[in-house]
Amino acid sequence: MGLESQLGDNIFTTTIDKFVNWGRKNSLWPMPFGTACCAIEMMATLTSKFDLSRFGAEAIRFSPRQSDLLIVSGRISIKMMPVLKKIYDQMPDPKWVISMGACASTGGVFDTYTLVQGVDGFIPVDIYIPGCPPRPEDLIDAVMQVQRIVEQESVSPKKRSRAIAS
Amino acid sequence: MSEQHHPLVVQKIQEKYPDAVLDVADARGELTVTVNKDVIYDLMAFLKNDSELTYNFLADVTAVDYSLMEDTLMKYDYARFMLVYHLLSTEKKQRLRVKVPVHENELSIPSMASIWKVANWLERETYDMFGIIFENHPDLRRILMPDDYEGYPLRKDYPLRGRGERETFNFEQQNL
Amino acid sequence: MHKDPDRVSGEPMTLNFGPQHPATHGTLRIVVELDGETVLKATPHLGYLHTGFEKLGEHHDYNQYIVVTDRMNYLSPLSNNFGYVLAVEKLLDIQVPKRCEYIRVILAELSRIADHMVWLGMGALDLGAFTIMLYGFAEREKLYSIFEKTTGARLTTSYTRVGGLMRDIYDGFEEDVRAFLNSFPKTLKEVHTLLTRNRIWMDRTKEVGVVSAEDAIDYGFTGPCLRASGVDWDLRKAEPYSCYEDFEFDVPIGANGDVYDRYLVRMEEMVQSGRIIRQALDNLPDGPVNVEDYKISLPTKEDAYGNIEGLIHHFKIIMDGHGVQPPKGEVYCATESPNGELGFYIVSDGSGKAYRIRIRPPSFIHFQALPHMIEGGMVSDIVAVLGSLNIIAGELDR
Ligand code: SF4
Repeated sequence: MGLESQLGDNIFTTTIDKFVNWGRKNSLWPMPFGTACCAIEMMATLTSKFDLSRFGAEAIRFSPRQSDLLIVSGRISIKMMPVLKKIYDQMPDPKWVISMGACASTGGVFDTYTLVQGVDGFIPVDIYIPGCPPRPEDLIDAVMQVQRIVEQESVSPKKRSRAIAS
Repeated sequence: MSEQHHPLVVQKIQEKYPDAVLDVADARGELTVTVNKDVIYDLMAFLKNDSELTYNFLADVTAVDYSLMEDTLMKYDYARFMLVYHLLSTEKKQRLRVKVPVHENELSIPSMASIWKVANWLERETYDMFGIIFENHPDLRRILMPDDYEGYPLRKDYPLRGRGERETFNFEQQNL
Repeated sequence: MHKDPDRVSGEPMTLNFGPQHPATHGTLRIVVELDGETVLKATPHLGYLHTGFEKLGEHHDYNQYIVVTDRMNYLSPLSNNFGYVLAVEKLLDIQVPKRCEYIRVILAELSRIADHMVWLGMGALDLGAFTIMLYGFAEREKLYSIFEKTTGARLTTSYTRVGGLMRDIYDGFEEDVRAFLNSFPKTLKEVHTLLTRNRIWMDRTKEVGVVSAEDAIDYGFTGPCLRASGVDWDLRKAEPYSCYEDFEFDVPIGANGDVYDRYLVRMEEMVQSGRIIRQALDNLPDGPVNVEDYKISLPTKEDAYGNIEGLIHHFKIIMDGHGVQPPKGEVYCATESPNGELGFYIVSDGSGKAYRIRIRPPSFIHFQALPHMIEGGMVSDIVAVLGSLNIIAGELDR
C-alpha cells in the first residue's frame, strides 16, 4: 500500500471497523447463562481439556454489564424467561447470543407445560447449537461462528442491521 | 427381612385406630396402609413416636390423581385424590406407605409440618401440583410454578402442554 | 455459627441472591435479609428449572422415560438410570442377570465419583480455590471418555434398559476403568494436600452450616449430608439393592455436620467407590446382560436386521402399547444416589405407560434446610453451605 510504504515498517493502516472487530472477536467475554445439563458441558468446555481461552473467550463474566456474548445453555422455564430477558437487556451493545442445546433452541425433549419452546421467541439468537447436550467442540465451533459474525459488524450504528425483537 | 415385621405394624395400627383402616396391602415386599383422613395426623405422630415402630423419617409426600382409574375410585367412594406418605424407620430399617383418600369437594388434609420439618416443602409441592390444601401449614404457597399460575399441572385433566401458559405467561410476574 | 447479638446493629438490608449467580450452579434464588454481614433470614425461591418430569412420565412408555431421567441429576445420569429401572423391575418382579447388575454397579459408582468431582471442583471454586476445579474436571474427562465408549454419550447416557442394558460393555472397558482407578487417588491426594489442612479452607468450612443428627433426620437429609452429621445410614448397606450385598466397603461418617465434614465424607466416599468397582471388576460374571423375556428385552441387532422373526419381535416391543407392561400396582424404590436417597414411586394401571411417576429428589429436600443452616451466620457462609449441599437444579425443580 502506498501510505504504508512511506510511513515505514512499524505502522499499519486499516479501517476502524476492521480494527475494532479484530479486537472484539478475539476477546469475547461470555456471560454463561447455564441452567441445566448443557451448563455442565459448557463448564467442561471452559476447563483444561477443551479450554475455550484458546479462542480468546475465557473471561467468563457472571455480570451481564461486563459481557458481550450470552450463552444460553439449558432449559428455560416460563419462570426463568423473564430473568433471561432482563439479563439480555442489561448487556451493553454490541452483544451476541448463542443458544446452546436443543432445549434452549426448541424446548428439546421437553414439550411440557412449563418450558419455553425456544428462547428465540423472546430474544434474538445469533447461533443455535444442536445436540443434547452439544459436545464441547460444538460450543467452540459456535464461538468461532460468532467471531465470524463479529467480523462483519460495523461501529457505525447505521450499518448495524440487527433487529432487536421484543 | 421386612416381611416378619409387617404383621406387627398392621396389628398395632389396627389396635390403635380400629375404624380408620380402610385397606392393608402387602405387595412386592412393601406394606401399604390406607386410612381415613380424620386420624391421619394422630396416626403419623403415633407411628413416629411408638417405640416398636419408630418411623422417624418421612421420606416423601405426594399425591395421585385417580380420576382415570375407575376401580380405585370406586373402592374409595369416588375420592379423586390419594395422598401418599412414605415413611422410613432408620432403626428398624423398615418402610411403610400410608395412603389417605381425599375427596374433591373437601380438598384439605392436616399438615405434617409440625411433626417433620421436611413435610413443609413436600406439602407445598403437592399443593402446587394438585391443589390440595394443607391445614395449619406454616407457609402454603406455590413452590415450583410462578405465583400467578393458574391450574394444577399434575391433575389428570391438565394437558401435558399446558393451556397456553407457555406463550402467554406474565413477564412482570416476579418482583425481581 | 455466630449468634452474637452485639454484631447485630443498624437497619436490615434485603439482598437478592440468584437466580443467576455464579455460586448457585444453576437456577435457584435466595432472598436474604442481612444486618451488616449477619444473615437474619433467608427465603429460598425455586422452580426456575421446573420441567414437568413427573407429568412427562405419564406420557412416555417405560423405556422412553429413561431418557428423561438422564436429565435430572445431570452430574451422575447413570445413577438416575439405575434407580429408575430398578423401580420398574421391582414393579415387573423380574431379576436381571448378575453380569448386568455388576456393570450397573460399576457405572453407578463411577458416576458417584464423577458427581463428587464436580461437587468438589465447584465447591472449592466458590471458596476461591480455582485449581481444584480444573483437577476435578480433568478426572471427569477421563470418566466421560469411559462413559462415551460404553454408552455412546458423554453426559446423557440412557444406558440402562428395563430388564438389562442397552448393550454390553466394550472390549477394554476393564483396562480403562482400572487405569482410572489407579490415577484418581493421586488427584485426591493432591486435593487433600491443597485443602484438608489448609488454614483458609478450614476457617471457611469448619463449624459453618452445622446440622445436628436430629435435625438432619427431621429435615429428611440423606446421603453424604446425613452421614456428615453422624448418622450411619447408607441405603447400599441398610437395604442392599441390586447386588450391593456382594461388596465390602465402609461408610464414612462425620462428626460435626458442618461443611468440612461433608467435604471429608465425600472425599472418602470416592475412595470407597473405587473399592467397590475393583471388587466388581474382579468378579465380573460372564453371560448375557438382558433378561431372557421376549416381552421385555429387544432382540439383538443382528436378529432385528437379519430375519423376519427378529424384526417382528423388535416391532412389537417398540410399537405403542406393546412394550413393557407391568401389572397393576405401585412401588417405591429408593437408591443411594451420590446426593442421597433418590426414590421413584411408580403407580401402574397395567398399560404401557406409568399412571403416575413421582421422584423423590434429594436436592429438593436438602435445599429446604438451607435457611436453618445459614440464618445467624455470615453472608459469605451462604456460598460455602450451598456448595456443600450440592444442589442440582435439574433434580431440585424437576
Ligand atoms: S438440550 Fe439436552 S442436555 Fe441440554 S439442557 Fe436440554 S436436556 Fe439438557
